[in-house]
Amino acid sequence: MRARREVARRVFAKEFNESRYKIGGNAEKEPIYVLTPLGLKCNRLFIIGTLIEKEETRPESEVIRIRIADPTGSFLGFVGKFDPEAKISLMDMKIPSTIAVTAKAKLLERGGKVIPFIRPESINPSDFDTRDYWILETAKATIKRIEMMKGDSEIARLAREKYNPNLEEYREMVISALMRLKEEVKITEEEEEESIEESIEEEILDLNDLF
Amino acid sequence: MDKIQSIVNEIYEIFKDYNVSRSEIEKRLKLLVFEFKVPEEEAKRTIINGLRRDLNLSRDALRFPLTKIADLEPGKGVTVKAKVIQLWEPMSQSIAQWGIIGDETGTARFVIWAKSGKGKVEEGKNYIFERVFVDEFAGIKSIKVTSISEVKEIDEEIEVNESWGEIEITGALVSIYQNSGLVQICKICGRVVEAGICKEHGKVEWSEVLRLRGVIDDGERIYDIEMDENCLKALTGLDLKTAKKMAFEHLDRNVVLMELKKKLLGKYFRISGELRFRTISVKRAELLKTKIIEEVERVLEQARAL
Repeated sequence: MRARREVARRVFAKEFNESRYKIGGNAEKEPIYVLTPLGLKCNRLFIIGTLIEKEETRPESEVIRIRIADPTGSFLGFVGKFDPEAKISLMDMKIPSTIAVTAKAKLLERGGKVIPFIRPESINPSDFDTRDYWILETAKATIKRIEMMKGDSEIARLAREKYNPNLEEYREMVISALMRLKEEVKITEEEEEESIEESIEEEILDLNDLF
Repeated sequence: MDKIQSIVNEIYEIFKDYNVSRSEIEKRLKLLVFEFKVPEEEAKRTIINGLRRDLNLSRDALRFPLTKIADLEPGKGVTVKAKVIQLWEPMSQSIAQWGIIGDETGTARFVIWAKSGKGKVEEGKNYIFERVFVDEFAGIKSIKVTSISEVKEIDEEIEVNESWGEIEITGALVSIYQNSGLVQICKICGRVVEAGICKEHGKVEWSEVLRLRGVIDDGERIYDIEMDENCLKALTGLDLKTAKKMAFEHLDRNVVLMELKKKLLGKYFRISGELRFRTISVKRAELLKTKIIEEVERVLEQARAL
Protein backbone atom coordinates (compact mmCIF):
# COMPACT_ATOMS: atom_id res chain seq x y z
CA MET A 1 0.00 0.00 0.00
CA ARG A 2 1.37 3.39 -0.87
CA ALA A 3 0.28 7.00 -1.16
CA ARG A 4 -0.70 8.40 -4.48
CA ARG A 5 2.18 10.23 -6.06
CA GLU A 6 1.56 13.90 -6.72
CA VAL A 7 1.57 15.08 -10.32
CA ALA A 8 4.42 17.41 -11.33
CA ARG A 9 2.60 20.53 -12.55
CA ARG A 10 3.73 22.87 -15.32
CA VAL A 11 3.69 26.53 -14.32
CA PHE A 12 5.65 29.62 -15.38
CA ALA A 13 7.86 31.33 -12.78
CA LYS A 14 5.76 34.50 -12.75
CA GLU A 15 2.56 32.70 -11.80
CA PHE A 16 4.32 30.52 -9.20
CA ASN A 17 6.18 33.47 -7.65
CA GLU A 18 2.94 35.35 -7.05
CA SER A 19 1.62 32.51 -4.85
CA ARG A 20 1.03 33.38 -1.20
CA TYR A 21 -1.35 30.70 0.13
CA LYS A 22 -1.19 27.00 0.96
CA ILE A 23 -4.14 24.63 0.95
CA GLY A 24 -4.61 21.03 2.10
CA GLY A 25 -2.70 19.33 4.90
CA ASN A 26 -5.83 19.08 7.06
CA ALA A 27 -6.43 15.36 7.16
CA GLU A 28 -3.64 13.02 8.19
CA LYS A 29 -1.32 12.40 5.23
CA GLU A 30 -3.19 14.88 3.04
CA PRO A 31 -0.48 16.72 1.10
CA ILE A 32 0.07 20.46 1.32
CA TYR A 33 -0.34 22.38 -1.92
CA VAL A 34 0.77 25.82 -3.00
CA LEU A 35 -2.23 27.65 -4.47
CA THR A 36 -1.26 29.90 -7.40
CA PRO A 37 -3.23 33.02 -8.47
CA LEU A 38 -4.67 31.01 -11.40
CA GLY A 39 -6.06 28.33 -9.09
CA LEU A 40 -3.38 25.68 -9.59
CA LYS A 41 -2.88 23.37 -6.62
CA CYS A 42 0.71 22.26 -6.85
CA ASN A 43 2.78 20.05 -4.61
CA ARG A 44 5.35 19.06 -7.22
CA LEU A 45 6.66 20.89 -10.31
CA PHE A 46 8.52 19.90 -13.44
CA ILE A 47 10.60 22.75 -14.84
CA ILE A 48 12.97 23.13 -17.76
CA GLY A 49 14.89 26.37 -17.72
CA THR A 50 18.26 28.04 -17.50
CA LEU A 51 20.36 27.66 -14.39
CA ILE A 52 21.51 31.23 -13.74
CA GLU A 53 22.68 31.07 -10.14
CA LYS A 54 24.13 28.45 -7.78
CA GLU A 55 25.71 29.50 -4.54
CA GLU A 56 26.03 28.25 -1.00
CA THR A 57 23.58 30.22 1.17
CA ARG A 58 26.18 30.69 3.92
CA PRO A 59 29.69 29.26 4.10
CA GLU A 60 29.51 25.63 5.26
CA SER A 61 25.72 25.65 5.42
CA GLU A 62 25.73 22.89 2.76
CA VAL A 63 22.57 24.43 1.39
CA ILE A 64 22.83 25.68 -2.17
CA ARG A 65 20.61 28.42 -3.47
CA ILE A 66 19.77 28.20 -7.15
CA ARG A 67 17.80 30.22 -9.67
CA ILE A 68 16.24 28.78 -12.79
CA ALA A 69 15.03 31.24 -15.41
CA ASP A 70 12.12 30.73 -17.79
CA PRO A 71 10.70 33.29 -20.27
CA THR A 72 8.63 34.96 -17.51
CA GLY A 73 10.98 35.16 -14.53
CA SER A 74 12.96 32.80 -12.33
CA PHE A 75 12.35 30.05 -9.79
CA LEU A 76 14.22 30.29 -6.48
CA GLY A 77 15.38 26.90 -5.22
CA PHE A 78 17.27 25.38 -2.31
CA VAL A 79 19.19 22.13 -2.50
CA GLY A 80 20.22 20.69 0.86
CA LYS A 81 21.89 17.57 2.16
CA PHE A 82 18.56 15.78 2.22
CA ASP A 83 18.45 15.85 -1.57
CA PRO A 84 21.75 14.05 -2.24
CA GLU A 85 20.94 13.13 -5.84
CA ALA A 86 19.99 16.65 -6.83
CA LYS A 87 23.05 17.98 -5.05
CA ILE A 88 25.46 15.64 -6.82
CA SER A 89 24.04 16.43 -10.27
CA LEU A 90 24.15 20.14 -9.47
CA MET A 91 27.92 19.97 -8.96
CA ASP A 92 28.45 19.25 -12.67
CA MET A 93 26.14 22.00 -13.91
CA LYS A 94 27.61 25.12 -15.46
CA ILE A 95 26.10 28.60 -15.37
CA PRO A 96 24.31 29.22 -17.61
CA SER A 97 23.02 25.83 -18.76
CA THR A 98 19.65 24.32 -19.58
CA ILE A 99 18.39 21.93 -16.90
CA ALA A 100 15.35 19.76 -16.22
CA VAL A 101 14.18 19.75 -12.62
CA THR A 102 11.57 17.80 -10.70
CA ALA A 103 10.91 19.63 -7.44
CA LYS A 104 8.61 20.08 -4.48
CA ALA A 105 6.72 23.39 -4.42
CA LYS A 106 7.06 25.27 -1.13
CA LEU A 107 6.30 28.57 0.56
CA LEU A 108 8.76 30.20 2.93
CA GLU A 109 7.11 32.41 5.55
CA ARG A 110 9.39 34.85 7.27
CA GLY A 111 8.63 38.14 9.03
CA GLY A 112 5.20 38.51 7.51
CA LYS A 113 6.60 37.85 4.05
CA VAL A 114 5.77 34.81 1.96
CA ILE A 115 8.33 33.62 -0.59
CA PRO A 116 7.59 30.76 -2.99
CA PHE A 117 10.53 28.44 -3.66
CA ILE A 118 11.30 24.92 -4.85
CA ARG A 119 13.13 21.92 -3.38
CA PRO A 120 14.59 19.92 -6.28
CA GLU A 121 14.31 16.13 -6.10
CA SER A 122 16.25 15.54 -9.30
CA ILE A 123 18.24 17.78 -11.62
CA ASN A 124 19.37 16.75 -15.10
CA PRO A 125 21.00 18.44 -18.06
CA SER A 126 18.55 19.34 -20.81
CA ASP A 127 18.65 21.16 -24.16
CA PHE A 128 16.98 24.02 -26.06
CA ASP A 129 14.51 21.83 -27.99
CA THR A 130 13.25 20.20 -24.82
CA ARG A 131 13.02 23.60 -23.09
CA ASP A 132 10.96 24.93 -26.01
CA TYR A 133 8.61 21.97 -25.68
CA TRP A 134 8.26 22.72 -21.96
CA ILE A 135 7.42 26.38 -22.68
CA LEU A 136 4.76 25.28 -25.16
CA GLU A 137 3.33 22.72 -22.74
CA THR A 138 3.33 25.25 -19.88
CA ALA A 139 1.68 27.88 -22.09
CA LYS A 140 -1.10 25.39 -22.87
CA ALA A 141 -1.58 24.52 -19.19
CA THR A 142 -1.69 28.24 -18.30
CA ILE A 143 -4.30 28.95 -21.00
CA LYS A 144 -6.46 26.19 -19.54
CA ARG A 145 -6.18 27.76 -16.10
CA ILE A 146 -7.05 31.25 -17.37
CA GLU A 147 -10.17 29.73 -18.93
CA MET A 148 -10.92 27.85 -15.73
CA MET A 149 -10.64 31.12 -13.75
CA LYS A 150 -13.45 32.60 -15.84
CA GLY A 151 -15.74 29.82 -14.64
CA ASP A 152 -17.30 29.14 -11.28
CA SER A 153 -15.57 26.01 -9.98
CA GLU A 154 -14.74 25.77 -6.29
CA ILE A 155 -11.02 26.28 -6.92
CA ALA A 156 -11.63 29.28 -9.22
CA ARG A 157 -13.76 30.91 -6.52
CA LEU A 158 -11.07 30.26 -3.90
CA ALA A 159 -8.28 31.70 -6.09
CA ARG A 160 -10.39 34.79 -6.89
CA GLU A 161 -11.14 35.31 -3.21
CA LYS A 162 -7.45 35.00 -2.22
CA TYR A 163 -5.76 36.79 -5.14
CA ASN A 164 -8.34 38.51 -7.34
CA PRO A 165 -5.89 38.04 -10.25
CA ASN A 166 -5.76 40.23 -13.32
CA LEU A 167 -6.26 37.58 -16.01
CA GLU A 168 -5.20 39.99 -18.77
CA GLU A 169 -1.71 40.16 -17.21
CA TYR A 170 -1.36 36.38 -17.42
CA ARG A 171 -2.74 36.30 -20.92
CA GLU A 172 -0.04 38.77 -21.96
CA MET A 173 2.58 36.69 -20.15
CA VAL A 174 1.62 33.62 -22.19
CA ILE A 175 1.57 35.56 -25.46
CA SER A 176 4.98 37.10 -24.84
CA ALA A 177 6.50 33.72 -23.85
CA LEU A 178 5.15 32.21 -27.08
CA MET A 179 6.31 35.17 -29.19
CA ARG A 180 9.84 34.79 -27.88
CA LEU A 181 9.64 31.08 -28.58
CA LYS A 182 8.50 31.78 -32.12
CA GLU A 183 11.43 34.12 -32.77
CA GLU A 184 13.90 31.67 -31.24
CA VAL A 185 12.59 28.69 -33.16
CA LYS A 186 12.80 30.63 -36.41
CA ILE A 187 16.37 31.74 -35.73
CA THR A 188 17.55 28.24 -34.86
CA GLU A 189 15.90 26.81 -37.95
CA GLU A 190 17.53 29.44 -40.14
CA GLU A 191 20.88 28.86 -38.47
CA GLU A 192 20.45 25.16 -38.97
CA GLU A 193 19.74 25.66 -42.66
CA GLU A 194 22.76 27.94 -43.01
CA SER A 195 25.01 25.43 -41.34
CA ILE A 196 23.60 22.63 -43.48
CA GLU A 197 24.25 24.71 -46.56
CA GLU A 198 27.78 25.38 -45.40
CA SER A 199 28.48 21.72 -44.78
CA ILE A 200 27.06 20.82 -48.18
CA GLU A 201 29.39 23.34 -49.75
CA GLU A 202 32.31 21.90 -47.83
CA GLU A 203 31.34 18.45 -48.98
CA ILE A 204 31.28 19.63 -52.60
CA LEU A 205 34.71 21.15 -52.16
CA ASP A 206 35.95 17.88 -50.76
CA LEU A 207 34.48 16.00 -53.69
CA ASN A 208 36.15 18.45 -56.09
CA ASP A 209 39.48 17.59 -54.51
CA LEU A 210 38.91 13.96 -55.37
CA PHE A 211 38.64 14.52 -59.07
CA MET B 1 -44.64 -18.52 -29.86
CA ASP B 2 -42.82 -15.17 -30.21
CA LYS B 3 -44.21 -14.14 -26.86
CA ILE B 4 -42.85 -17.33 -25.32
CA GLN B 5 -39.41 -16.73 -26.83
CA SER B 6 -39.29 -13.15 -25.60
CA ILE B 7 -40.16 -14.23 -22.04
CA VAL B 8 -37.51 -16.95 -22.24
CA ASN B 9 -34.99 -14.30 -23.27
CA GLU B 10 -36.04 -11.97 -20.48
CA ILE B 11 -35.60 -14.66 -17.86
CA TYR B 12 -32.39 -15.88 -19.43
CA GLU B 13 -30.93 -12.35 -19.23
CA ILE B 14 -31.64 -12.25 -15.49
CA PHE B 15 -30.02 -15.62 -14.78
CA LYS B 16 -27.37 -15.82 -17.48
CA ASP B 17 -24.53 -15.68 -15.01
CA TYR B 18 -25.92 -18.60 -13.01
CA ASN B 19 -25.60 -21.41 -15.53
CA VAL B 20 -29.29 -21.62 -16.35
CA SER B 21 -29.93 -22.78 -19.91
CA ARG B 22 -32.52 -21.37 -22.30
CA SER B 23 -33.98 -24.81 -22.89
CA GLU B 24 -34.50 -25.31 -19.17
CA ILE B 25 -36.40 -22.01 -18.95
CA GLU B 26 -38.39 -22.80 -22.09
CA LYS B 27 -39.36 -26.22 -20.75
CA ARG B 28 -40.68 -24.75 -17.49
CA LEU B 29 -42.49 -21.94 -19.28
CA LYS B 30 -44.19 -24.20 -21.83
CA LEU B 31 -45.30 -26.56 -19.09
CA LEU B 32 -47.01 -23.73 -17.20
CA VAL B 33 -48.46 -21.90 -20.18
CA PHE B 34 -49.55 -24.76 -22.45
CA GLU B 35 -50.37 -27.58 -20.09
CA PHE B 36 -51.53 -25.76 -16.95
CA LYS B 37 -52.89 -22.75 -18.88
CA VAL B 38 -51.28 -20.27 -16.48
CA PRO B 39 -51.27 -16.66 -17.83
CA GLU B 40 -47.88 -15.76 -19.32
CA GLU B 41 -46.98 -12.99 -16.85
CA GLU B 42 -47.86 -15.23 -13.89
CA ALA B 43 -45.79 -18.02 -15.39
CA LYS B 44 -42.85 -15.66 -15.77
CA ARG B 45 -43.02 -14.59 -12.15
CA THR B 46 -43.35 -18.19 -10.97
CA ILE B 47 -40.28 -19.24 -12.94
CA ILE B 48 -38.16 -16.33 -11.76
CA ASN B 49 -39.06 -16.98 -8.14
CA GLY B 50 -38.54 -20.71 -8.61
CA LEU B 51 -35.11 -20.28 -10.13
CA ARG B 52 -34.21 -17.78 -7.45
CA ARG B 53 -35.06 -20.33 -4.74
CA ASP B 54 -33.27 -23.15 -6.59
CA LEU B 55 -30.15 -21.02 -6.87
CA ASN B 56 -30.48 -19.78 -3.33
CA LEU B 57 -30.50 -16.14 -4.38
CA SER B 58 -32.01 -13.21 -2.54
CA ARG B 59 -34.32 -10.75 -4.28
CA ASP B 60 -31.45 -8.27 -4.10
CA ALA B 61 -29.27 -10.56 -6.15
CA LEU B 62 -31.63 -9.97 -9.04
CA ARG B 63 -31.84 -6.23 -8.56
CA PHE B 64 -28.05 -6.19 -8.28
CA PRO B 65 -27.16 -8.96 -10.74
CA LEU B 66 -23.86 -10.76 -10.52
CA THR B 67 -21.76 -9.07 -13.19
CA LYS B 68 -18.32 -9.66 -14.68
CA ILE B 69 -15.96 -6.70 -14.53
CA ALA B 70 -15.77 -6.37 -18.32
CA ASP B 71 -19.59 -5.97 -18.39
CA LEU B 72 -19.87 -3.24 -15.72
CA GLU B 73 -22.02 -0.37 -16.93
CA PRO B 74 -21.89 3.07 -15.28
CA GLY B 75 -25.04 3.93 -13.34
CA LYS B 76 -26.02 0.28 -12.71
CA GLY B 77 -26.30 -1.54 -9.39
CA VAL B 78 -24.46 -4.86 -9.42
CA THR B 79 -22.86 -7.63 -7.45
CA VAL B 80 -19.25 -8.48 -8.28
CA LYS B 81 -17.01 -11.39 -7.36
CA ALA B 82 -13.42 -10.27 -7.52
CA LYS B 83 -9.94 -10.42 -6.10
CA VAL B 84 -8.50 -7.36 -4.37
CA ILE B 85 -5.31 -6.71 -6.32
CA GLN B 86 -4.02 -3.51 -4.82
CA LEU B 87 -4.95 -1.22 -1.94
CA TRP B 88 -4.07 2.46 -2.02
CA GLU B 89 -3.65 4.93 0.77
CA PRO B 90 -6.98 6.76 1.22
CA MET B 91 -6.55 10.38 0.17
CA SER B 92 -9.48 11.63 2.21
CA GLN B 93 -11.30 10.74 5.40
CA SER B 94 -14.48 9.93 3.52
CA ILE B 95 -12.79 6.83 2.06
CA ALA B 96 -12.23 3.74 4.21
CA GLN B 97 -10.42 1.76 1.53
CA TRP B 98 -9.81 1.95 -2.19
CA GLY B 99 -7.79 0.25 -4.84
CA ILE B 100 -8.05 -2.23 -7.67
CA ILE B 101 -10.09 -5.41 -8.03
CA GLY B 102 -9.99 -7.91 -10.83
CA ASP B 103 -11.64 -11.01 -12.25
CA GLU B 104 -10.97 -13.16 -15.30
CA THR B 105 -12.49 -10.50 -17.59
CA GLY B 106 -10.56 -7.44 -16.43
CA THR B 107 -9.86 -4.96 -13.65
CA ALA B 108 -11.66 -2.00 -12.09
CA ARG B 109 -11.26 0.41 -9.22
CA PHE B 110 -13.23 0.07 -6.03
CA VAL B 111 -14.04 2.52 -3.27
CA ILE B 112 -15.40 1.61 0.16
CA TRP B 113 -16.87 4.78 1.64
CA ALA B 114 -16.07 5.34 5.30
CA LYS B 115 -19.77 6.02 6.00
CA SER B 116 -20.69 2.57 4.70
CA GLY B 117 -18.96 0.96 7.69
CA LYS B 118 -18.17 -2.01 5.47
CA GLY B 119 -15.35 -4.44 5.35
CA LYS B 120 -11.66 -4.43 5.83
CA VAL B 121 -10.53 -6.10 2.63
CA GLU B 122 -7.00 -7.37 2.15
CA GLU B 123 -4.79 -7.56 -0.91
CA GLY B 124 -4.76 -10.96 -2.61
CA LYS B 125 -8.03 -12.17 -1.08
CA ASN B 126 -11.28 -12.92 -2.91
CA TYR B 127 -14.58 -11.24 -2.11
CA ILE B 128 -18.16 -10.86 -3.20
CA PHE B 129 -19.19 -7.21 -3.35
CA GLU B 130 -22.98 -7.24 -3.10
CA ARG B 131 -25.25 -4.33 -4.00
CA VAL B 132 -22.58 -1.94 -5.24
CA PHE B 133 -22.88 0.90 -7.76
CA VAL B 134 -20.83 1.38 -10.91
CA ASP B 135 -19.42 4.63 -12.17
CA GLU B 136 -16.74 5.66 -14.57
CA PHE B 137 -14.03 8.30 -14.61
CA ALA B 138 -11.56 8.94 -17.44
CA GLY B 139 -12.48 5.62 -19.02
CA ILE B 140 -11.79 3.64 -15.86
CA LYS B 141 -14.73 1.85 -14.25
CA SER B 142 -15.12 1.75 -10.53
CA ILE B 143 -17.53 0.22 -8.02
CA LYS B 144 -18.72 2.05 -4.91
CA VAL B 145 -19.44 0.24 -1.66
CA THR B 146 -22.18 2.09 0.27
CA SER B 147 -24.15 1.35 3.44
CA ILE B 148 -26.60 -0.90 1.55
CA SER B 149 -23.70 -2.99 0.21
CA GLU B 150 -22.16 -6.10 1.71
CA VAL B 151 -18.57 -7.26 1.31
CA LYS B 152 -17.83 -10.91 2.17
CA GLU B 153 -14.74 -12.99 1.71
CA ILE B 154 -15.35 -16.04 -0.47
CA ASP B 155 -13.67 -19.42 -0.55
CA GLU B 156 -12.91 -19.28 -4.24
CA GLU B 157 -9.71 -18.40 -6.08
CA ILE B 158 -10.39 -15.85 -8.81
CA GLU B 159 -8.03 -15.76 -11.76
CA VAL B 160 -7.33 -12.21 -12.80
CA ASN B 161 -6.91 -10.82 -16.28
CA GLU B 162 -4.70 -7.84 -15.64
CA SER B 163 -4.86 -5.95 -18.87
CA TRP B 164 -6.57 -2.56 -19.25
CA GLY B 165 -5.63 -2.42 -22.90
CA GLU B 166 -3.13 -0.58 -25.06
CA ILE B 167 -2.25 3.00 -24.28
CA GLU B 168 -0.06 5.70 -25.83
CA ILE B 169 1.14 8.70 -23.85
CA THR B 170 3.59 11.57 -24.00
CA GLY B 171 5.21 13.04 -20.92
CA ALA B 172 8.38 13.66 -18.95
CA LEU B 173 10.19 10.89 -17.10
CA VAL B 174 10.24 12.56 -13.66
CA SER B 175 11.35 9.67 -11.48
CA ILE B 176 13.24 6.38 -11.77
CA TYR B 177 12.63 3.97 -8.91
CA GLN B 178 15.48 2.39 -6.97
CA ASN B 179 14.43 -1.10 -8.08
CA SER B 180 15.63 -0.24 -11.60
CA GLY B 181 18.90 -0.86 -13.38
CA LEU B 182 20.76 -4.16 -13.17
CA VAL B 183 18.70 -6.10 -10.64
CA GLN B 184 18.15 -9.66 -9.48
CA ILE B 185 14.45 -10.39 -9.45
CA CYS B 186 12.28 -13.17 -8.03
CA LYS B 187 11.14 -15.51 -10.82
CA ILE B 188 7.67 -15.70 -9.28
CA CYS B 189 6.77 -12.07 -8.62
CA GLY B 190 9.46 -9.86 -10.20
CA ARG B 191 10.38 -8.16 -6.93
CA VAL B 192 14.04 -7.46 -6.32
CA VAL B 193 15.67 -10.23 -4.26
CA GLU B 194 18.38 -9.53 -1.73
CA ALA B 195 20.94 -12.27 -1.17
CA GLY B 196 18.59 -14.68 -2.95
CA ILE B 197 15.69 -13.86 -0.62
CA CYS B 198 12.38 -12.48 -1.92
CA LYS B 199 10.35 -10.54 0.66
CA GLU B 200 7.22 -12.30 -0.55
CA HIS B 201 8.43 -15.79 -1.47
CA GLY B 202 11.51 -16.37 0.68
CA LYS B 203 14.45 -18.24 -0.84
CA VAL B 204 13.70 -18.37 -4.55
CA GLU B 205 15.16 -18.80 -7.98
CA TRP B 206 16.06 -15.43 -9.40
CA SER B 207 17.20 -13.97 -12.68
CA GLU B 208 19.33 -10.95 -13.43
CA VAL B 209 17.68 -8.35 -15.66
CA LEU B 210 18.15 -4.83 -16.94
CA ARG B 211 14.95 -2.85 -16.45
CA LEU B 212 13.56 0.54 -15.59
CA ARG B 213 10.63 1.29 -13.33
CA GLY B 214 9.64 4.91 -13.08
CA VAL B 215 7.07 7.63 -13.55
CA ILE B 216 5.97 9.44 -16.70
CA ASP B 217 4.18 12.67 -15.87
CA ASP B 218 2.31 14.82 -18.40
CA GLY B 219 1.47 17.61 -15.96
CA GLU B 220 -2.06 16.31 -15.40
CA ARG B 221 -1.66 12.60 -14.77
CA ILE B 222 1.09 10.21 -13.77
CA TYR B 223 1.75 6.76 -15.12
CA ASP B 224 3.99 4.12 -13.60
CA ILE B 225 5.99 2.56 -16.38
CA GLU B 226 8.21 -0.44 -16.78
CA MET B 227 10.76 -0.75 -19.58
CA ASP B 228 12.60 -3.96 -20.42
CA GLU B 229 16.07 -4.52 -21.85
CA ASN B 230 14.94 -4.09 -25.48
CA CYS B 231 13.38 -0.70 -24.79
CA LEU B 232 16.38 0.47 -22.82
CA LYS B 233 18.79 -0.70 -25.47
CA ALA B 234 16.91 1.27 -28.12
CA LEU B 235 16.99 4.40 -25.95
CA THR B 236 20.44 4.25 -24.38
CA GLY B 237 22.45 1.61 -26.24
CA LEU B 238 22.83 -0.21 -22.94
CA ASP B 239 22.03 -3.94 -22.87
CA LEU B 240 22.24 -6.61 -20.18
CA LYS B 241 25.73 -7.68 -21.25
CA THR B 242 27.21 -4.15 -21.15
CA ALA B 243 25.38 -3.44 -17.91
CA LYS B 244 26.92 -6.53 -16.28
CA LYS B 245 30.34 -5.48 -17.56
CA MET B 246 29.88 -1.96 -16.14
CA ALA B 247 28.81 -3.31 -12.77
CA PHE B 248 31.75 -5.73 -12.74
CA GLU B 249 34.29 -3.03 -13.60
CA HIS B 250 33.02 -0.71 -10.88
CA LEU B 251 32.33 -3.54 -8.41
CA ASP B 252 28.93 -1.88 -7.98
CA ARG B 253 25.67 -2.56 -9.78
CA ASN B 254 24.40 0.87 -8.74
CA VAL B 255 26.44 2.47 -11.54
CA VAL B 256 23.93 1.05 -14.02
CA LEU B 257 21.07 2.81 -12.26
CA MET B 258 23.06 6.05 -12.16
CA GLU B 259 23.73 5.75 -15.88
CA LEU B 260 20.01 5.26 -16.65
CA LYS B 261 19.14 8.27 -14.51
CA LYS B 262 21.78 10.39 -16.22
CA LYS B 263 20.61 9.43 -19.70
CA LEU B 264 16.83 9.39 -19.29
CA LEU B 265 15.59 11.41 -16.31
CA GLY B 266 13.94 14.75 -17.08
CA LYS B 267 13.45 13.95 -20.77
CA TYR B 268 10.18 13.76 -22.69
CA PHE B 269 9.11 10.45 -24.19
CA ARG B 270 6.36 9.15 -26.37
CA ILE B 271 5.63 5.63 -25.21
CA SER B 272 3.10 2.96 -26.01
CA GLY B 273 2.40 -0.27 -24.22
CA GLU B 274 -0.05 -2.28 -22.25
CA LEU B 275 -1.66 -0.74 -19.17
CA ARG B 276 -1.76 -3.22 -16.28
CA PHE B 277 -3.33 -1.82 -13.11
CA ARG B 278 -1.55 1.51 -12.98
CA THR B 279 1.62 0.37 -14.70
CA ILE B 280 2.30 0.58 -18.39
CA SER B 281 4.51 -2.19 -19.58
CA VAL B 282 6.24 -0.31 -22.37
CA LYS B 283 6.51 -1.87 -25.81
CA ARG B 284 7.82 1.12 -27.76
CA ALA B 285 9.50 4.24 -26.45
CA GLU B 286 11.09 7.14 -28.22
CA LEU B 287 12.55 10.46 -27.19
CA LEU B 288 10.09 13.16 -28.12
CA LYS B 289 11.27 15.07 -31.15
CA THR B 290 8.95 17.79 -32.26
CA LYS B 291 8.91 20.53 -34.80
CA ILE B 292 6.99 22.81 -32.50
CA ILE B 293 6.76 25.91 -34.71
CA GLU B 294 3.28 25.10 -36.11
CA GLU B 295 1.97 24.29 -32.67
CA VAL B 296 3.37 27.54 -31.29
CA GLU B 297 1.26 29.41 -33.86
CA ARG B 298 -1.83 27.44 -32.91
CA VAL B 299 -1.39 27.95 -29.14
CA LEU B 300 -0.64 31.63 -29.73
CA GLU B 301 -4.00 31.95 -31.49
CA GLN B 302 -5.65 30.28 -28.50
CA ALA B 303 -4.00 32.73 -26.10
CA ARG B 304 -4.98 35.73 -28.20
CA ALA B 305 -8.58 34.51 -28.28
CA LEU B 306 -8.80 34.36 -24.47
